Amino acid sequence: MLARPRPLVIVILLALAAYAIALPFFGGAFALKFATRVMITGIFVISLDLLIGVTGLVSFGHALYFGLGAYSLYFISPTSAPANAFLAIPFAMLLAGAVALVVGSVAVLTRGFYFIMVTLAFGQMGFSLFFDTKIAGGTDGAYINVRPVFSLGSWQILNFQNRAAFLYFCLAALVLSYLFLLWIVRTPFGRVLQGIHHNEARMSALGFNTYAYKLASYVIAGTLAGFAGMLFAAIDGYVAPELLGWRESGLAIMMVVLGGAGTLYGPLLGAIVYSLVEETLKSASELSAFFSLFTDTANAKWLGGILANSWSIPLGLFLIAAVLVAPKGIAGFIEKFAGQAKRGKPREVAPSTEQRAAAKAMQLEVQNLVRAFGGLVAVNGVSVKFSPNKVHGIIGPNGAGKTTFINVLSGALRPTGGNIRLENEEIGGQKPHNVARRGLGRSYQRTNVILPFTARENCALAAQARFPSPLRFSNSWRRREEDEAVERALAAAGIASERADIRASNLSHGEQRQLEIAMLIASGAKLLLLDEPLAGMGPEETGRVTALLRELSADHTIVLIEHDMDAIFAAADTLTVLVEGRLLAHGTPEEIRMNSAVREAYLGEWGQEAKP
Amino acid sequence: MDLVLIQLLNGIQYGLLIFLAASGLTLVFGIMGVINLSHGSFYMLGAYCALTLTQFTGDIFLSLLLGVPLAFVFGVIIEWLFIRHLYDRDHLQQVLLTFALILIFNEVQKILWGSYPHSVPVPGYLQGGVKISELLSYPYYRIAVAGFCVALALAMMFVIQKTRIGRIIRAGESNREMVEALGIDSRLLFRFVFAAGVALAATAGIVASPLESVYPGIGEPVLIISFVVVVIGGIGSIKGAFLGALLIGVADALGKVYFPTFSSSVVYALMAAVLIARPGGLFGRAA
Repeated sequence: MLARPRPLVIVILLALAAYAIALPFFGGAFALKFATRVMITGIFVISLDLLIGVTGLVSFGHALYFGLGAYSLYFISPTSAPANAFLAIPFAMLLAGAVALVVGSVAVLTRGFYFIMVTLAFGQMGFSLFFDTKIAGGTDGAYINVRPVFSLGSWQILNFQNRAAFLYFCLAALVLSYLFLLWIVRTPFGRVLQGIHHNEARMSALGFNTYAYKLASYVIAGTLAGFAGMLFAAIDGYVAPELLGWRESGLAIMMVVLGGAGTLYGPLLGAIVYSLVEETLKSASELSAFFSLFTDTANAKWLGGILANSWSIPLGLFLIAAVLVAPKGIAGFIEKFAGQAKRGKPREVAPSTEQRAAAKAMQLEVQNLVRAFGGLVAVNGVSVKFSPNKVHGIIGPNGAGKTTFINVLSGALRPTGGNIRLENEEIGGQKPHNVARRGLGRSYQRTNVILPFTARENCALAAQARFPSPLRFSNSWRRREEDEAVERALAAAGIASERADIRASNLSHGEQRQLEIAMLIASGAKLLLLDEPLAGMGPEETGRVTALLRELSADHTIVLIEHDMDAIFAAADTLTVLVEGRLLAHGTPEEIRMNSAVREAYLGEWGQEAKP
Repeated sequence: MDLVLIQLLNGIQYGLLIFLAASGLTLVFGIMGVINLSHGSFYMLGAYCALTLTQFTGDIFLSLLLGVPLAFVFGVIIEWLFIRHLYDRDHLQQVLLTFALILIFNEVQKILWGSYPHSVPVPGYLQGGVKISELLSYPYYRIAVAGFCVALALAMMFVIQKTRIGRIIRAGESNREMVEALGIDSRLLFRFVFAAGVALAATAGIVASPLESVYPGIGEPVLIISFVVVVIGGIGSIKGAFLGALLIGVADALGKVYFPTFSSSVVYALMAAVLIARPGGLFGRAA
């Protein structure tokens, strides 16, 4: 999870803020305007980082909201009087936010490359709306004659015309935006966004409606970008369709990547560095001064002149070098310099000493379940009942349809026919997050935890799924309850407390599989669907996990696919044998061992060793 | 009615041209997994290359013969210099690097050819057009371009369906690791595919150059439209790119007739509609 900024980062940011505060006392008009522009761009790019770096949505149309914010100032400004910023700011944010809600509701349906392209297309639609029509001056853009003011009645609090006052206002806006986003990212809501970034399927299997979360993130980012755009229009008092165009969106992505996506402060530094490099390359005199270090004045002037004329070439080369040398951006350098992150101290929660009370878990019943892929019928008329508080094994040769079966039960695939009843309620065909909310949790064949989170954070994420309201910003609500669930889950899954604050990526394979089970327990699931929980484990780990499964059946129903025959015959109460999508047999391990059809199907594979 | 007919013909011809550019893009993304924003720049360089070559050769088709191999070699160089570092990087870094390439190519264009628009002559033997009615005729050159594009599309589909390299390309689309496991040098394959993509974009730029003036930034609308086509058709699918391009071409042309103010939004609305119905594009795997 995104940690609080390091001391070094805080020092850098404070130094920059101090510079900005001091600037009006010694800087000229140009410097003030430049700094103001950089700060506004900073708000814009950190809002984009909420999408790109935090939620993992690479938006190539973020300038749409920036541009809409800018145009909204034009719309609300009277021809020859100032607009009141108390109205202009909410108007800009509302307009951008409303459009983001509409666009996002479509765009968020897609992911990856398609999301990039859909957001690009919507951005271009916005661009052509202003470019091709006569709205607000069409292609030529339009002027805002009088800059906005903050006023209450006749009392004028702040006039944007005053460069220094405007600069201070933008600085305050930037600081607040940064703190706001930092806060958002560290709330339960933000934790889910980061979970979605790293593993969306897992998040929805835990019961989170990932669509709603992504949409919320998109709207927040768009609203903030609208605010930045409105301020931007107030710098020069001029708006043009290019503000919404793809180049503007591309530049913003560039600053995010240059600075280091997913760190919030990185993109801010990216905006500063990019603007400085661009400005330097554009001005011939500074370049000449630089070259005169190596050659005589005439040559330096000549070289500087050429470069300043074609400043895009060195700028492009600079960016290429930055990508190749520092893929994690400026923030990557800083993090490396600052050393390993120190994580916040874990909250002390007394481990519950009481023995877990046995509780009745859930029953899952399947009738005539069919799932076909075109002509291939992967699950063919399976009927079986998984009774509560038991360990149920599903076995069968490769290609028997076991994983498809589990995928249909968990909602990852829609059934082609038949019924699935969880405690007598039909769940067939429901979305994974809805199935999960009813108390069915699942794990995956491949280890599927959120790798950059610690074990404890992974479990906290899962515990949060008990109350998966998309807009949960309070850290204290239900905190005690969830912390207890986390500690219980870690203890129950056998994860030692000194390992709980290590990033999941640094845990052993066995520990990661245990963590998966811990997440399911923490999520409050009453029925666990496990896909090969023992895969890749040594004998000692296998023994530990099968014992854990037996223990868990005191208050859970467990359904697991497993290939390790010795382990599953020892651990399961019932076994279900699938062959070519059909139910071959269902019964106690003893019955299955004796079943002649099963022995025939498996002969050669394990029939020899499994003889009594 | 004649106007609609002419627009329809223009739309089909425009779609065929866009197909050339989009097919290169879809191959590069489908096989190499690289988002190439600089694809439009190769179209632009193709158009400017046609301008210069035609000044020497006097015929656009001779320029095509010379220009395409040049573009291919240029593609090999660009792949070797920049693109090959991107294969294991994420989309963001690809976007950044290829965006930087656009900045550089635009500047190079400005230095070599200046910022004024130029025109490329239609060869003498293709002057004039087919009479459609008393007042309207359809230019021979546009018909020739459409025919050329169809021939090239057929040739590409033949190569992809029937030849050895085509089989490798199809395999690479669906499973990159598998191709490597089969012992095919993926570095060489990628270099070839990228250079072919550049050559396709440049071909589109060359044959399009006599149709409209050649100006700075001519590649940018082509880039955006090509992305729309790739998304509609489904990533990596040549067939999808072909149908998508025709669909976009016709929608754009009819949009200009029926909704002149919002004509450029029509194609984006079409794309949004396709994605809502089929999130993986018409011929794509679900993303």
